[in-house]
Amino acid sequence: MDKRESLWEAYLKRGFSRRSFLKGCVALTSLMGLSTDMLSKVVEAAETKPLPVVVWIHGHECTGCDESFIRSASPLASDIVLTNIALEYDHLLSAACGAPFEAHLDEVINKHNGQYILAVEGAVATKDSGVYCMSGGHTFTHLLSKAAKGAAAIIAYGSCAAYGGIQAASPNPTGSAGISNFVGGKPVVNVPGCPPIPEVMTGVVMHVALFGTVPPLDGDGRPKQFYGNRIHDTCYRRPFFDAGMFAETYDDAGSKAGWCLYKLGCRGPETYNSCGNLRWWQGMSYPIQSGAACIGCSNKNFWDEAPFSDRLPKYGKLGDADKIGVGLGVLTAAGVGAHAVASIIQRNRRDNLMEEEHKD
Amino acid sequence: MKSVKDVERKEYYLFSPFLRIFHWIMASQIVILFVTGLLITKPMNVATTEPTFSITSMDLVRDIHFTAAFIFCVAFILRIYGFIINKGDRLFPRFWEGHFYSETVDVALHYMLLKPHHAPFLRNPLARMSYAGLYVLVAIEILTGFAMYFMTSPSTTGGILFGWVNTILGSEMMTHYVHHYVAWFIILFAIGHLYMVIRAEFMEGESEVSSMFSGKKVLAHTPKDANELE
Repeated sequence: MDKRESLWEAYLKRGFSRRSFLKGCVALTSLMGLSTDMLSKVVEAAETKPLPVVVWIHGHECTGCDESFIRSASPLASDIVLTNIALEYDHLLSAACGAPFEAHLDEVINKHNGQYILAVEGAVATKDSGVYCMSGGHTFTHLLSKAAKGAAAIIAYGSCAAYGGIQAASPNPTGSAGISNFVGGKPVVNVPGCPPIPEVMTGVVMHVALFGTVPPLDGDGRPKQFYGNRIHDTCYRRPFFDAGMFAETYDDAGSKAGWCLYKLGCRGPETYNSCGNLRWWQGMSYPIQSGAACIGCSNKNFWDEAPFSDRLPKYGKLGDADKIGVGLGVLTAAGVGAHAVASIIQRNRRDNLMEEEHKD
Repeated sequence: MKSVKDVERKEYYLFSPFLRIFHWIMASQIVILFVTGLLITKPMNVATTEPTFSITSMDLVRDIHFTAAFIFCVAFILRIYGFIINKGDRLFPRFWEGHFYSETVDVALHYMLLKPHHAPFLRNPLARMSYAGLYVLVAIEILTGFAMYFMTSPSTTGGILFGWVNTILGSEMMTHYVHHYVAWFIILFAIGHLYMVIRAEFMEGESEVSSMFSGKKVLAHTPKDANELE
């Protein structure tokens, strides 16, 4: 694949019409979260930009993000992989394996130095020189820094690559961390989520592919078009929250009526993701819609913020902060009461002494 | 004990109206903020079968909380103005002066009931330290509060000004926790503060309580920090 073809050329080769190409561009535009007046730019890019080479590596993780990715429906993940990008290396989706496969990685990295997109799934295991995550006979840290060196841009797919993920939960035995400190200052697009929404995954890689730049990012390195709002602020159950209509348990009438799950520990008010507007599986549903409180899987440290079923953590028999607060308040009041009594005794003693001195 | 005593006392004008007005706005808003804050964390159960028009409206409770928060912050400007124009309003503990430490020990020993008196002060060093502590708590509440409030749209000015708080604390849920826990510490401070003020009034009769209305304190002995007013 010496001359890399553009998307338009790929369409032509497959005998698709100009009309279906334009339809594809319209779909891509909305998929990337862009306004429709960007359409002409998308068409231009799709006509001229060669298909981007993508190297996709996997670290300390469960490959659940791939499971999500292959369920993307618009565009189909198969279209992305076979038509829209040139996926040269992927631990999970590639048919090849063994030494030739690893050799191919080196070849791709050298040939497209400075041009390919590096997609990373999974955390970096840092403890004990990184031996807890090995790939092709080397530590994952080695693979990551090798692949990151020549990358044009890096996409961190999933909460593991972005923040360390569930294996970074306390006490974090493998020293798992996000990839940002191991890529030598290359621009990283964080696409957190456990897993991220399929269409968000495809949308981000298409943005980088078509425009050659990373999408507009927020302070945390996340694409604004997908992580610009809290789930709470886009949730269809928000009116129930505002009206004070809450499910108290998972089997009460409020829960059955689809009321707000805030009191059941829903993390929607703290979580930035597109679940509320894009939803999952072609807009079919998302956790809150199916009656489960959000656990905030796209948040940093969400794994250490148990219980997911309550607003405040509990401290054993002491209860939560409110219970402890009331206890401390009562104790303080009792303390100052006792101090007041003691102070009165002290003052009376002092006054008596002074009066006696006065008489003398 | 005689009911009428002939004691010579000196009157000191300490607190400007700006500090006093700020104090009462702050006190009232803290009560409102605390109650509504608890209701936001744990909303009331829906009491009626048709809850749409019930008084448990979360929207209303949140609006009251936010309004009180803004009044609180605006009142802070009065406090700062008072600090600038009036020396009596400057309550920061004077850590940089050597006698501060011996005086603190002196007052602490009296509060531990180990000494019958402490030296007379217009604003004693332990009280000043507790106010400095309160301001730290209040600052945390303001920062974490706006960090949550403005993140409905993280790209706007407010989001940029306060968004870093969430980053420092690690996650936005942690911001909620910190905001909630610190609120309880402010209430514990309030209990102690209320007691200490009434106790000082009772023990020394130096019009500790009414000074927050009139701005004046009356002392029989020359207070050690009188020179700070000059």
